Amino acid sequence: MAGRTIKTALNSRLSSFQKIYLLLIAGFILGPFIPLIIQSFAFRWAWPDMLPSTWWLEQREKSLLPLAWDYVISPYSRVWEATLNTMFIGTVVTVICLAICLPAARVLAREKFRGKAAFEFFLSMPLIVPEAAIGIALLMIFIRLGLAGTYTGIIIVHLIPTIPYMIRMLTAVYQGLGRDFEEQAMILGANRWQVMRLVTLPMLLPGVVAGALFTFLVSTNIFLLTFFLGQGKIITLPTLLFSKIAGGTLDASAAGITLVVTVPGIILLLITERFIKEEAFGKGFGN
Amino acid sequence: MSPNKTKELARHRKERIWMWLQVLPVLTVLVVLFGGALVLAVMQSLGFAPWFGVNTFPDFSFFRALWGEWSFWYSLGLTLYYAIVSTLIALVMGIILALAMVRFFPGKTLYKYLYKLPLMIPYTVGIALAVIMLGNGGMLSRLMEFVGLIDDPSEFPQILKSHYGWGIIAVYVWKQTPFVTLTIYAVLLGVGRETEEAAAILGASKSQTFFQVTLPQILPGIISSTLIIFAFNIGAFEAPFILGGGYPDTLPVIAWRYFNDADYSLQLQGMATVVSIAMIAGIILYTYLALYRRYERKIGRN
Repeated sequence: MAGRTIKTALNSRLSSFQKIYLLLIAGFILGPFIPLIIQSFAFRWAWPDMLPSTWWLEQREKSLLPLAWDYVISPYSRVWEATLNTMFIGTVVTVICLAICLPAARVLAREKFRGKAAFEFFLSMPLIVPEAAIGIALLMIFIRLGLAGTYTGIIIVHLIPTIPYMIRMLTAVYQGLGRDFEEQAMILGANRWQVMRLVTLPMLLPGVVAGALFTFLVSTNIFLLTFFLGQGKIITLPTLLFSKIAGGTLDASAAGITLVVTVPGIILLLITERFIKEEAFGKGFGN
Repeated sequence: MSPNKTKELARHRKERIWMWLQVLPVLTVLVVLFGGALVLAVMQSLGFAPWFGVNTFPDFSFFRALWGEWSFWYSLGLTLYYAIVSTLIALVMGIILALAMVRFFPGKTLYKYLYKLPLMIPYTVGIALAVIMLGNGGMLSRLMEFVGLIDDPSEFPQILKSHYGWGIIAVYVWKQTPFVTLTIYAVLLGVGRETEEAAAILGASKSQTFFQVTLPQILPGIISSTLIIFAFNIGAFEAPFILGGGYPDTLPVIAWRYFNDADYSLQLQGMATVVSIAMIAGIILYTYLALYRRYERKIGRN
């Protein structure tokens, strides 16, 4: 309250340029979704009409559902299969990634050892080596090993881009935790197991949840590695959408699928916003 | 004294082993997958592929064949052009947005959800949006007809499927501006506004405050976010594949085409393309980081 009354030399309100800019960016980000939604409910929408000449509602007797949505929920569109695949792969990748990154993050946050900087650099390499290079190089090996086009292969390859994010977020969590609380518990007579269960885990949990959500998100958004190594046998939401729009045109059913592919992202956005704080993200990526 | 010392040493060694055991799983996954892929890619591009009956290692003919064609250099130029232009645009847009985000305004909570949406969804969604907005039959084209600029979809200036690549750049910018914003916004929150305030009190103008106080503070965020998006853009496949202008394509698309060619021997040329991409990205990013380190040392920060 005292802070409010002190007149600061800085303006903490938006300038009019900034107001317009914020609106423009919001339009740039969300605007394109409007024609997409309209498209998915249109019956006939030819160039150059700004709005469909025939809406689905006027043709209700011909089709019970909007054409696009009728197709999306039918098994022919394979949307359901792709959704299940995406969720399954994302979940398994998250669990494995968490299991192998937690101990490593603990070491990185607390220990000093020779070669630590080089090790940290190596862990972030997957972020800066082009995905196409890794994808094609691995495909060659995976075809030899019979892993191409299998769930195992895709899950393994999804670990590459997710590990750097998970490591960074978990290391930040461990750094924030410090050792003091665990030491105090030990001084008060807690054994190792009690310290782990009653002190470390509850304090780590929010960060672990954030890291897991972010990893799941990264995994569900991966296109290239899934496309290259899935060999068309395993489809996820991003690769399904790719096959619909690869020709460079977008019909009503493709519009419907685009909207479906957007939904998990919106759900994750609503959840993650509560768990992932900007500050925590900054700790992971500020350097 | 000495038994104590050996005990101490033994304990120390045990701790070290335990430490490495904890790091081992991650290290194994990355070394085997990532390192293995890179090493094998290099070896194959140099003619090591016994399973095709090719084993002429070390053989530079695949690189010579690849680099000898003008289309490779044209592709490289295109790849770098899309990557650099979109990274720069996303960076400028992201910085301006992050600077606005640290201020107070009504609806900020909602806005913090809104601007992150592109981060959460796949690139393919962005491509679909580009098609519906910028395609010849898209909204922009309809809008131009509406205001009477054109009479036919074919008169609409080709935005997609041209080598200027504005469609590709639009998708990258749409998807990556939020990433840059988030990174820089996080750094700004960590720094606080006291130094800016001090500068303002001492009479610095707005542009002085930005260039001499704020910019050096957010520089680490700028470097890390541009590194990541630039590397991604160089290796990106789906946007240039769908929205690109056709032959000659960007390097990742070329690598993919070689790799899927019915002619098996072209796979090795594909590997040479892949290795070239990684090398070029490596050289650029290394130079970029080295320059940044030198700057950091110059201003006495490390």
